[in-house]
Amino acid sequence: MTQPFELNTTISNLRDLHASDLSLYDAIYLGNITCRLYEANLLEHLGDLRDAIATVKAHGLKAYVTSYAAPRNDFLPKLAKAMAVAVEAGADAVEVHNLGVLKIVHEAHPGLPIHVGGFANVYTDAGAEVLKQFGAVRITPNYELSLEEIGQIHQQVGLPMELLVHGKMPLGISDHCFLLEYEEAWGMKCPDLCQQDLFLKQGDWAMKSVGKGVLSGKDVCMLEHLPRLVAEGHTRFRIETVSESPEYRLEVGRVYREALERAFAGTDGVEERWWTTLRRHARIGLCNGFYFGRSGMEYLGVRPDAVASALRRPVAETTDYQAQGAIR
Amino acid sequence: MARFFSRAARPILLAPAGSPDAAKVALQAGADAIYVGLKGWSRGGAKGELTSEELLDTLAAAHAQGRKLQVALNTIPRQSERRYLVRRVEELIGLGIDGVIVNDAGLMAELHTRYPELRITASIGCAAMNEADVAFYRDLGADAVVLPGTLSADELYAAAQVPEVLIEVMIHMVEEFIVLGKCWMPSYYRLNATPLAELHGEGNRLIGSMKRGGAGVCFKVCEHPWVLSLNGQDVAQRLLPSRQISPINALSDILDAGVDVVKLQGRSLSPDLLAPIVGRYRRAIDAWEGGGPVPALQELPLEPSWTVSRR
Repeated sequence: MTQPFELNTTISNLRDLHASDLSLYDAIYLGNITCRLYEANLLEHLGDLRDAIATVKAHGLKAYVTSYAAPRNDFLPKLAKAMAVAVEAGADAVEVHNLGVLKIVHEAHPGLPIHVGGFANVYTDAGAEVLKQFGAVRITPNYELSLEEIGQIHQQVGLPMELLVHGKMPLGISDHCFLLEYEEAWGMKCPDLCQQDLFLKQGDWAMKSVGKGVLSGKDVCMLEHLPRLVAEGHTRFRIETVSESPEYRLEVGRVYREALERAFAGTDGVEERWWTTLRRHARIGLCNGFYFGRSGMEYLGVRPDAVASALRRPVAETTDYQAQGAIR
Repeated sequence: MARFFSRAARPILLAPAGSPDAAKVALQAGADAIYVGLKGWSRGGAKGELTSEELLDTLAAAHAQGRKLQVALNTIPRQSERRYLVRRVEELIGLGIDGVIVNDAGLMAELHTRYPELRITASIGCAAMNEADVAFYRDLGADAVVLPGTLSADELYAAAQVPEVLIEVMIHMVEEFIVLGKCWMPSYYRLNATPLAELHGEGNRLIGSMKRGGAGVCFKVCEHPWVLSLNGQDVAQRLLPSRQISPINALSDILDAGVDVVKLQGRSLSPDLLAPIVGRYRRAIDAWEGGGPVPALQELPLEPSWTVSRR
């Protein structure tokens, strides 16, 4: 019987791929979308990319090749080669975040399934419909959308929506890496800088820095809400582990594999050991992202203890930017 | 209204106008065209938007001087809001506007299909950064694509080689840490929706999201101090990189690259700040057109606080 859902995650390089237990996943996105200089980024090391695709497929999983979120002109020739390697090596799909890259890939490889990534800014059914004409077969809607809005796009356009169900949510992408300023002070060089445990904090909230990328400090967690996602017809789920360890990838993947199987079987209940695992890996706490139409770092659920924050102040004492005149 | 995707005969200086007074001084200072926000439908919120009446008066003033006016409709409307916005565009076309600035691929395609003669610009919020992006938005119906002033002359040259689309460069702008159009840090922290009376209950102003539905408003969390934590230890207090760019002294290279429109950011600029900026770019473009050297000008003397509190 065909499994009713897909659980996937992200891996940037061969070292991480070989260190990771992939058995909990159905598909792997290969490559790092933020930076060409990321350690042995598969998008820049095309021999490694071939090996990675072969490794993933040898595990019986689907291999997807991702691409840069904000590519300048000089990225494009190498990116086109990476996409060609993806096709030659038998990748099952490529993921694009940049609409120019979407056009390039669709024209060069008309039959290649394309997954549209979260940085492509799909906010509406009309936007999704346009991208469908360029070969999109799956869409990660912009992370700011609620489940209600995502459901509307799903119904109108008829493409599967890929949902981030756990992990640090991308919040922005930059053209610059400010971590390079710290090479001397910290005694470490690129590409080691962005692999440190780095957070940017303001009072009660935090973001994780990966150099050119900014992720949510809290881990998005939809564990309690998987039955709703299933009921609304969603079947493609991502655990974002691009900045995480192989242990995170394994243990969080195991929780969601079990929980999704239970949800699709129509069985209720969340195991206490699942919470223990997720809390242990989420140093800043848990949130629901934007799925319930609220600010991304809020948590809605029957387990308020899940939002336990490592930061200093409770939400009620946060900086009032509006009062300070910072609203523009 | 004629579409003009033949290369511009001469560079167009496109200035922001966040109020009727700002429009007046921008035109006096030599802008070939101005762009305005329509209340409830532009990135950035109420600051820098015109009412329908103000838009009508400003349009008449621009046309009386032989200049053009574009309307920024660069939020991404929800499905229910989109129907209303498309009707508003038809009204705007009837008023004689010279084009719209749009942020969403879906809205762009719909407007192009419905109003094929409408001049459409792909907003800076589309985050186009390479020549393939330019070609993508052209294919959707954009007559012009805005690129950030952070691109090199070589990159602009490559973009200008894409046929049948004009290249606009936001030459005077604040370069924020996060690429424009690829940021939702504020809404991660706070997201509040306020109904917009102007939209007859059909729209919201969203505090925290620049683009998501209705009219978005960013509050600048990126421009406040952050504590940087390394492996559990607080190691620095810092601002994220953000800077005013205004490479007027490199204008010759930019225009030589084939750029059609020199665009200035700042619909929230007051008339007293806007006028000298427009005037300087007018003189620089005129010098380039005259074949002489662009006069050496110092970087524009906007005070540092402009990037933080006056945008």
